[in-house]
Amino acid sequence: MATTTDERLRGAQLGVLERLPWRKIILIVLSVVILTIVVVGAYKTLTLPADKAYGANAWKNFIVLGFAQGAIYALIALGYTLVYGILRMINFAHGEVFMMGAFAAFFFADAYEASGFLDRQPVVSIGILLLVAMLTSMLVAVLLERIAYRPLRNAPRLVPLITAIGASLFLANTARGFFGSQTRGFGVPEALEGTWTIFGLTLDRVQVLVLVTVIVAMVALGLFVARTTTGKAMRAVAADNEIASLMGINVDRVIVTTFAIGGLLAGVAAVLFALTFESVNYFMGFRPGIAAFTAAVLGGIGSIYGAALGGVMLGLLQSLGPALILTGYGVPSPFQLKDAFTFLVLVLVLIFRPGGLLGSGDAEKV
Amino acid sequence: MGEVGTRRILFAGLFGAAGAVYLALVGLYTRFADLELVGEQVTLGRLLLAAPALVAAYAVTKPRVAGGERHMLGLAPGLAVGAATGVVTGVAFSAAVWFADWFGVDRIREVFIQVSTVLIDFLTLDKGVPAGLLYLIVLSVAGGLVGGFARTAPVEVRRPATVGLVAVFSLAMLQRIIPIMLIQLGITADWLYSPATGGLSWFGAAIVFAVAAAASVLWSRAHEPRERIRKTVQEAPAAKLGLLVVLLAVASILPLLLGSVISEVLGQVMIYVLLGIGLNIVVGYAGLLDLGYVAFFAFGAYTTALLTGAFLNTTTGAVEPVLGADLNFYVAVWIVALLAAGVGLLIGAPVLRLRGDYLAIVTLGLGEIVSVITASKWAQPLVGGPQGMRGVSKAEIFGLNPQDNAQHFYYLALAFVILALFISWRLSTSRIGRAWTAMREDEQVADAMGVSTIKFKLLAFAMGGAIGSLGGALFAVSLGSLTPTSFEVLVSITALAVVVLGGLGSLPGVVVGAMVLIGLPGLLREFEEYRLLIYGGALVAIMVLRPQGLIPNVRRSRELKEEEVEQDAWAKTLSGEREAVVGVVPGAGLGGDREDLE
Repeated sequence: MATTTDERLRGAQLGVLERLPWRKIILIVLSVVILTIVVVGAYKTLTLPADKAYGANAWKNFIVLGFAQGAIYALIALGYTLVYGILRMINFAHGEVFMMGAFAAFFFADAYEASGFLDRQPVVSIGILLLVAMLTSMLVAVLLERIAYRPLRNAPRLVPLITAIGASLFLANTARGFFGSQTRGFGVPEALEGTWTIFGLTLDRVQVLVLVTVIVAMVALGLFVARTTTGKAMRAVAADNEIASLMGINVDRVIVTTFAIGGLLAGVAAVLFALTFESVNYFMGFRPGIAAFTAAVLGGIGSIYGAALGGVMLGLLQSLGPALILTGYGVPSPFQLKDAFTFLVLVLVLIFRPGGLLGSGDAEKV
Repeated sequence: MGEVGTRRILFAGLFGAAGAVYLALVGLYTRFADLELVGEQVTLGRLLLAAPALVAAYAVTKPRVAGGERHMLGLAPGLAVGAATGVVTGVAFSAAVWFADWFGVDRIREVFIQVSTVLIDFLTLDKGVPAGLLYLIVLSVAGGLVGGFARTAPVEVRRPATVGLVAVFSLAMLQRIIPIMLIQLGITADWLYSPATGGLSWFGAAIVFAVAAAASVLWSRAHEPRERIRKTVQEAPAAKLGLLVVLLAVASILPLLLGSVISEVLGQVMIYVLLGIGLNIVVGYAGLLDLGYVAFFAFGAYTTALLTGAFLNTTTGAVEPVLGADLNFYVAVWIVALLAAGVGLLIGAPVLRLRGDYLAIVTLGLGEIVSVITASKWAQPLVGGPQGMRGVSKAEIFGLNPQDNAQHFYYLALAFVILALFISWRLSTSRIGRAWTAMREDEQVADAMGVSTIKFKLLAFAMGGAIGSLGGALFAVSLGSLTPTSFEVLVSITALAVVVLGGLGSLPGVVVGAMVLIGLPGLLREFEEYRLLIYGGALVAIMVLRPQGLIPNVRRSRELKEEEVEQDAWAKTLSGEREAVVGVVPGAGLGGDREDLE
């Protein structure tokens, strides 16, 4: 009898320990710690003596830069989100699709700059650059789907992801072999140098171009998905591919279309990115790619508006975060840690709200 | 040719030509134009020139499955199809070369930097366009014939021929090692390797081919005695032990045979074997795709440096780190492993609930955080920031000096590798290993069957982390100094490529994977530039063509096979209408929907 009581007692004790919601406790502690760090850092930064603090102008620049940067992330993020929505797969090589578009645009920009066409006809030449980059990125994305991903549709989930990582490495180093390993300067037309003043705000002309183009592209995509038959088919496949195929939708074609659209948007983003940073190189796809993926997850992967929201939020976080939080702690050169911020946000979102801001918050889907 | 449609031949041939154009543009032809393999004529560049047609012909002669039966082409039609494919490839590629020459090499060069007159000269055997293009076509046809032959020749001919050719190719590729080994053994190598070119001599190649082909024939003939030997080995543990002892003996005399230059490469291989073993536990056994493995590597290296009294590099000279100790390496390394296991728990804990691809991205993020922070100025007082550290312990022991002597380093690394292999092997065959397998196959079922997935996930991260940190510790010793550029995401991806190439979950696979992916580029410096390209291509190709890897884990490959059988069954039931439905049905099994149904 004594042993049974002992056992029951032990069971009860274990039960108490196990019944405690450890996960919740850890998460709450973690979020309190992070919030404290952020708030204290921001407070310290804002109360710095005037000679060390950033002026109002600097903050405004950070915000505008964050918006422009975030808009580009949003465009790339759409490529991740669309593909994930339909295939439930992270197209790790999407950053390289973007990079290829940038290179294609670079060669045209380089030739136009040499001939003076870029400065004489800025609108036409930027239009051509966009077109070239979009077509190239689309071609790469479609080829990628056909060669690397389609044979793996039925494979276990990790297999396409490993393939995508391989494809990413392969494409980046293909560009290195094709075009060389040095960073090349990307020509910006004279018409886009300098600033414009809009509503009392002084904005870099390139940033205005970025914001306008991204908004146009987003609206176009939104209309496409909402209004056209193909868009409807895409939504149907995303909701349930099996039923969609039974309803007579050609799933293969929808998947190719999705990759193509992702590629087109990546091409637009590539030109805007190259105009903003005035350079291209073969590894330029990696970091923006990861950042854009983070943006997609942040907004709720699978959701188009989520990608837009996530992109802008991430852009702002990257441009404001290091300055606002780290400067207060006296961290030397805080912007070196910009990418650490991206990843920290990614990790935290996935831990706290895996469904993203606009998602369902459902962890099981992950 | 009737059995293979003209359209398919045309398509395969054009595909081959596209491959050849790719190889030309990416620069592989010019890079390997002078790497002589056999005699003066057979260079790696020329072999690569014939390769696209070979691959295309091999692919197009694939046996067709119709009505549940395989239809294999006969030898004569196979050769004809191969030759036709070769002609298409050769003509299309020649057209591309002709166009390039007509359009102007210098103008193309503005975009594709590898296109040059040197490339055109190589492609046309210095005969110029268009006369030299004939040579290109002949080479492609030869490639196509070999491809068709390799697929359709009777197995008694095909197998010895393939084995012989592979043996010749391997020995020719290992031209920097084998001669040195032979000389160390007191055998003159001149008959085998020509001193003039460095590659195999024609005579040597013929001998190698004959010996390998004969061995292959004997091997197939001796089916029964082979089975008997296999059975005795399987049933007698002593025989297995004997095999292990032999392997160990070979591994331990290797550096003496190879000299210090190659031992250095071997040392690097060993570091990646360690990383591979560790990552294999996480990815191969437990099925958790960790893309931030570099974090453990960096942690191991930096902690070893800090614990063994290394200094920070600064612009004003060496400075002592904020936190540090001056321990003996052989004491420090255990502390490092323990701490790394702790870090594994720390990294593992927050991501426990995440699955599959999300886990991969989060770990990638964590790994990047580690490398961004170690490289930042902020981390300067702790780990040296961008300037890094120097003065890591030399790890002297028993008169061995691993840091200054590559052969001694190899022994140190070998000891670590054996330890890690042993631990990993024992884990995989234990209750823990079975729990990992269950978890990998289906987490929810494993949970329902009473496997504590939380515990075993954390254990996998901790074990993987500890072994990975040993790799880092070795790395720190081998260099004596550390800079953050050695700890980038590429390390994670390389380690993953090692594990995937060898076969997920397979320990011999890890060793072979590291030898191929780290050893070969280390030996053939010509490959260095294309290392990452080859890694990427290898990852894609392995996943698409042979997901079980080079040396598959027995259980794992059985699982993959079963899946294949299921797919085949699906194909067979539909075989009649397959062509018609194929456009719609693939959507039925889109990756991941199985998980969504759970």
